[in-house]
Amino acid sequence: MTEQDFNQLYHAYAPKVHRLCLGYSSGDLDLANEWLQETFIKVWNHRNAFRGDSSIDTWIYRIATNICLGDIRKIKKQVIVKEELLTESITEEPVNDEGETIEKMYSCISQLSEQNRTLILMELENIPQETIAASVGLAHGTLRTRLSRIRKSLLNCIKHGI
Amino acid sequence: MESDKLQELWNQQGGKMPSFTPDDILLKAKKQRKGQYISILVLMLTVVILSVYAFLYAFNQWNSFNLGLLLMISSLVLRVIIELLSIYRKESRLIAMDHNSYHAYLKKYYGIRRVINYLITPVCIITYIIGYTLLLPYFKEYFSQGFYTYIQVSGAVSIGGIIVLILYSIVKEERLLKQLQSSKKKSK
Repeated sequence: MTEQDFNQLYHAYAPKVHRLCLGYSSGDLDLANEWLQETFIKVWNHRNAFRGDSSIDTWIYRIATNICLGDIRKIKKQVIVKEELLTESITEEPVNDEGETIEKMYSCISQLSEQNRTLILMELENIPQETIAASVGLAHGTLRTRLSRIRKSLLNCIKHGI
Repeated sequence: MESDKLQELWNQQGGKMPSFTPDDILLKAKKQRKGQYISILVLMLTVVILSVYAFLYAFNQWNSFNLGLLLMISSLVLRVIIELLSIYRKESRLIAMDHNSYHAYLKKYYGIRRVINYLITPVCIITYIIGYTLLLPYFKEYFSQGFYTYIQVSGAVSIGGIIVLILYSIVKEERLLKQLQSSKKKSK
């Protein structure tokens, strides 16, 4: 991979990886930026380890989600964000404002299990289901069933806070 | 459709792209790699110097000073080698595994880290303290009382500092392990 290839790769995948990280960090922009940077640092430093067993996008998403999963500080912050938002969802009236609904969406996403969070974030980013299945390590059929269940529970959580 | 509302909501989120460029990332990546090579080089040099010292001097004129010095340096070197191997292993898995397998690997990894934290590290610290204690009589004999007191105090402070740092990292890793275990239980 040349520096020019890396440049092209960054422009092609960075926006999706960034939003994926944003979903993981419950909307914490600084953290999402940090993870985006870390993902592409790993992509460059380990470019020789990419053997083409999977497609390049699967490889990049794997690195990104593993970085999010493995970051200790993320988990610490997430717990705090989650607790704050959960308290809000109990005390507040149903949300109308767009910003608040997005906050609520982040809160509901953060309540999902690690794996379900990864699945829905990738799906919402319109990453092909074949790529999602390969990144996560699930059969395509299982993935489809799981995604439909997650969507339902997420919508229910955003609407009613459960 | 209901599902489209979720997509709509997702698309509405902000999240402006950061200002750094691919070139900035390349610069950082190269710096990070260089730093890793330098640490390995420094470590290798330390091991070489330690081995040369042991074979040329320590084993010929065996006394508690040599023993103390060897214990101190080898316990530090051992701890650093284990740490580097552990980091390298984790990173090589990070880029190779799918999310599910990496999640499982992380739990195993932090299980191994427990062995390092609760068994190997205390052994290294105790070995280091024994080595340090063996040096003290020589310091007392060859240095002034003031300098000897300084060595005692600074030695105790640095050992204390190392212990606090290690304890801090143990607490962090324990927290992560608990999070990983609870997130698995939450999986539907």
